[in-house]
Amino acid sequence: MRHLVCISALGVMAAMAFGQAPSGETKPAPATKSWNQPKTPWGDPDLQGTWTGDDCIGTPLQRPVKFGDRLYLTEQELAEREANREKTEHSDLEQVVAPGQAATIGGPEHWMERSRRPCKQTSLIVDPRDGRLPDILPEAKTRHVGAGAIVSDPKADSWEDFDYYIRCITRGVVGSILPVIYGNGQQIVQGKGFVTILQEMVHEARVIPLDGRPHAGPNIRSFMGDARGHWEGNTLVVETTNFVGNTTGVNGNGGGTPTSDALTLTERYTRTGPNEMRYELTVDDPKTFVRPYKVLLPLTEEPGYRNYEYACHEGNYGMFNSLSGARAKEKKAAAAAAAAKN
Amino acid sequence: MRKTLLVVLAAGASFLSAAPAWAHHAFAAEFDLDQPFKFKGTVTKMEWINPHAWIHVDVVGDDGKVTPWMIEAAAPNALLRRGWNKNSLPKGTEIIVEGYRAKDGANRGNGNIITFTDGRKLFVGSSAGDRGAPSK
Repeated sequence: MRHLVCISALGVMAAMAFGQAPSGETKPAPATKSWNQPKTPWGDPDLQGTWTGDDCIGTPLQRPVKFGDRLYLTEQELAEREANREKTEHSDLEQVVAPGQAATIGGPEHWMERSRRPCKQTSLIVDPRDGRLPDILPEAKTRHVGAGAIVSDPKADSWEDFDYYIRCITRGVVGSILPVIYGNGQQIVQGKGFVTILQEMVHEARVIPLDGRPHAGPNIRSFMGDARGHWEGNTLVVETTNFVGNTTGVNGNGGGTPTSDALTLTERYTRTGPNEMRYELTVDDPKTFVRPYKVLLPLTEEPGYRNYEYACHEGNYGMFNSLSGARAKEKKAAAAAAAAKN
Repeated sequence: MRKTLLVVLAAGASFLSAAPAWAHHAFAAEFDLDQPFKFKGTVTKMEWINPHAWIHVDVVGDDGKVTPWMIEAAAPNALLRRGWNKNSLPKGTEIIVEGYRAKDGANRGNGNIITFTDGRKLFVGSSAGDRGAPSK
């Protein structure tokens, strides 16, 4: 794998030397060793296994402006990213607390899963060329956004003030595959005429018929939409429509501006090696974004990696504690106001 | 060692700030920055649940009174991938916990620093697994 990284990085350098900025390519990179796409017993390309985007944990969805139109890191930047990754890995194995380390209000390092290799990309968005989200339409900006985990002092009158992930309902299709700090598993199981993708967090199962049947009618909607798949060569193409609008967004964990009922997702899953998969996603929501955009996320299969059940709500003390904390804060403020009056 | 750790912590912090998403829920909604705590407790059970595991400990006060506390830990998914499971922290184990108390004043806290009494951190391990080419 390190061999592959070096070759790709050198290729990027060569392209840049010739004055060509690497673009968000849409064709799969050629495998560096000969590998034949395995087939299922009934002849479909075999994509089965448990895949994860862990290697791109921490790679932002939107490209930092300093990178401009550049999708791939330079060899030096990649080496720096790998050095940081190694430091984090060593830090995770430190047996004792650093002297003077103070406790913080969040979770410590053991809450987090890690990448195994440095992600080569500057962003997950590859189109538009600047790797940034397209502009959001004015009406979309007015939609209610439930508080997510990074909101520092959320309104907490009711569970409805929180986002769908904190409520343990769903992260939506895109929010269930963009890598976050844990729970990034995607288990693909195939049967004749169907592909099912079991997304680890929040254990959604997407059942995707391949027989060309039409989508469900427009009044039948789901938080995960209604998916239809077909093969283009060895690539599984999945088109998903029929989303319930105003629930999840399409950023990590389903955050960001909630998308509308006009959202269409087109995904392309292409296995590029025994343990590597290329995942391309087009997000098209004409009621939310001024234009469609594309995401590219490399997925890998790791030895021993399995989905573990994420039965989110069974122990959702966090929701209870957040509401209880808000009520306590109100009581304290009311008591202080009453005391100030007297 | 200290310098390396400081570098690592800095790297870790910048790594975290680049991450688009944090954990499941809002800590600032649950826990109170004005109520830090640090104590030694004896594990009575570990709730191996989603979204987060919780460690139950008995804490003995200066007056000898025993108070049960609940300490928030990682999601089982993350712990499992670091090589820990629901049996890894047996009842009776003594641990030292540092964190912040629940906003409503209940005996709950986040377990930001958790060690055994000999100073070793709990849940040490790497989820990254073997580096290099996957073995298939």
